[in-house]
Amino acid sequence: MAPLDLAKNWGGAPSTTPKVALRDLHVAFTLADGGSLPAVGGVSLSVAPNEFVVLVGPSGCGKSTILRAIAGLVEPARGEVLVDGTSVAGPPEGVGFMFQKDTLLPWLTVGENISVGLELGGTPVADRPARMAALLSLLRLDEFGNHHPAQLSGGMRQRASLGRMLAYRPALMLMDEPFGALDALTKLAMGRELLRVWEAERRAILFVTHDIEEAVALADRVIVFSPRPARIVAEHRIDIPRPRDIRRLRTDPAFGALTQAIWTDLEGH
Amino acid sequence: MSDPAAVIEAAPPRAARLPDSIWSVQAWRVGLIAVLLLAWELAAGRLFDDFWSSRPSEIAERIWQMAMSGELSRHTWATISEAGLGLFFGALIGTPLGIALARGPRVARVVDPVIMGLYGLPRVALAPLFILWFGIGLTAKVMMALSMVLFVFLLNAAEGVRGIDPDMIDLMRTMRAGRWYMLRRVWLPAIVPWLIASARIGVGLSLIGAVVGELIGANRGLGWYVNKSGGQIDTTGAFAGLVVLMVIAVIANQAIILVEGRLLKWRR
Repeated sequence: MAPLDLAKNWGGAPSTTPKVALRDLHVAFTLADGGSLPAVGGVSLSVAPNEFVVLVGPSGCGKSTILRAIAGLVEPARGEVLVDGTSVAGPPEGVGFMFQKDTLLPWLTVGENISVGLELGGTPVADRPARMAALLSLLRLDEFGNHHPAQLSGGMRQRASLGRMLAYRPALMLMDEPFGALDALTKLAMGRELLRVWEAERRAILFVTHDIEEAVALADRVIVFSPRPARIVAEHRIDIPRPRDIRRLRTDPAFGALTQAIWTDLEGH
Repeated sequence: MSDPAAVIEAAPPRAARLPDSIWSVQAWRVGLIAVLLLAWELAAGRLFDDFWSSRPSEIAERIWQMAMSGELSRHTWATISEAGLGLFFGALIGTPLGIALARGPRVARVVDPVIMGLYGLPRVALAPLFILWFGIGLTAKVMMALSMVLFVFLLNAAEGVRGIDPDMIDLMRTMRAGRWYMLRRVWLPAIVPWLIASARIGVGLSLIGAVVGELIGANRGLGWYVNKSGGQIDTTGAFAGLVVLMVIAVIANQAIILVEGRLLKWRR
């Protein structure tokens, strides 16, 4: 495979600085009646620049809110979010985001949606056609560049969404249950594609899911959260060697032991 | 996102026996109009006095005479430019105001009573004032037409912006999209369906504005011609003016449908 050159050098911090650091992060939402609902209840976490970290926890526990805080979309009530050692105020540079639903712009074609990533990521005009072609082929969307999102299946839309994020060349990818709405087979295929891309050129990823097997298959490290407000209850380093073959993993005894351990952590709360 | 154009496009299920082809639909349409005109023609002078109803053949003849004398193009052009300019400037002013209001909810809450008050006002009643302020020339009628369509564009644009998926906006924010980029790639395309729906409603409303202006004070225009004919108890003349107005509205609507088909390909 040709070099993907997925992440541009957004400048800034040396590689010894953690890509993301959370220090006693609290986030609360203001309710309509004036009260306040704690979503994140004191989380400290550090993510290395090339690390794949998966956050698991019960639905609605506040994992997504943690990603939003890192992306500068919500403000901490207390504590601090650092990206590249700098305190986050508004969306920081070089951060790609992916939601459970595709959030493609429906009036643009797949190609134009990917262009949005190229344009906002500052890819020079002259390089755009080549990068676009490379991305479409990487995501097996070659024949769909001129299709509108409404004409595609859910899996293809998520691939296009991933394409837009990769086109932006983020140094940090925040993925909020990106494959959660897909059927089991498509989910597996998307996981494989993500690993293929990431193993070719490692970047920091924070990935939220409530699928434990998906978490273990993808991650360097799995962080387990309590029900809302989110607190870290356990942490598992996943030492299964890479590159990983997601389909074969299920028969690996280490895989079984890890998923079992994480289940136990989740059920204990 | 709720869907303005869908309401317009939603057709009742077609009866099985009616043919599907677009040409057959056209043939049925022409047939229906021909039958209505024929019924009018035959009934006039028999079922009711054609002094009051005129008849299609006489109206057609009058329109032909007007076309020959140059009167038709003079009046038609006057009314079309009044309504067209009103529609254009109404869209041009109403749309950005609508976007701005949807983007600034605090300001929107403050100005809401003012907007709803002006919107609720029967703008036809403004015609005498507009004639006083702007004279009996083009400007007063353009302002009338504009006042009719402005709020349609404003309210629809605001509603369109409010209907955009907030996650889509958040995603663009994480990529640090600037204000103009958002306007070009998100806000404007998102409200195109709403603007088209506004334009469809606006065609009729801007014609009303222009014609009302002509009724109050003018020396040309289809509204003026209808009014003048009525004053002379010339029902044929009045109907001739109405027919031309109707044709303008139908053609403008078809033009919008054409543009809609091109702009909204992504929805199919």
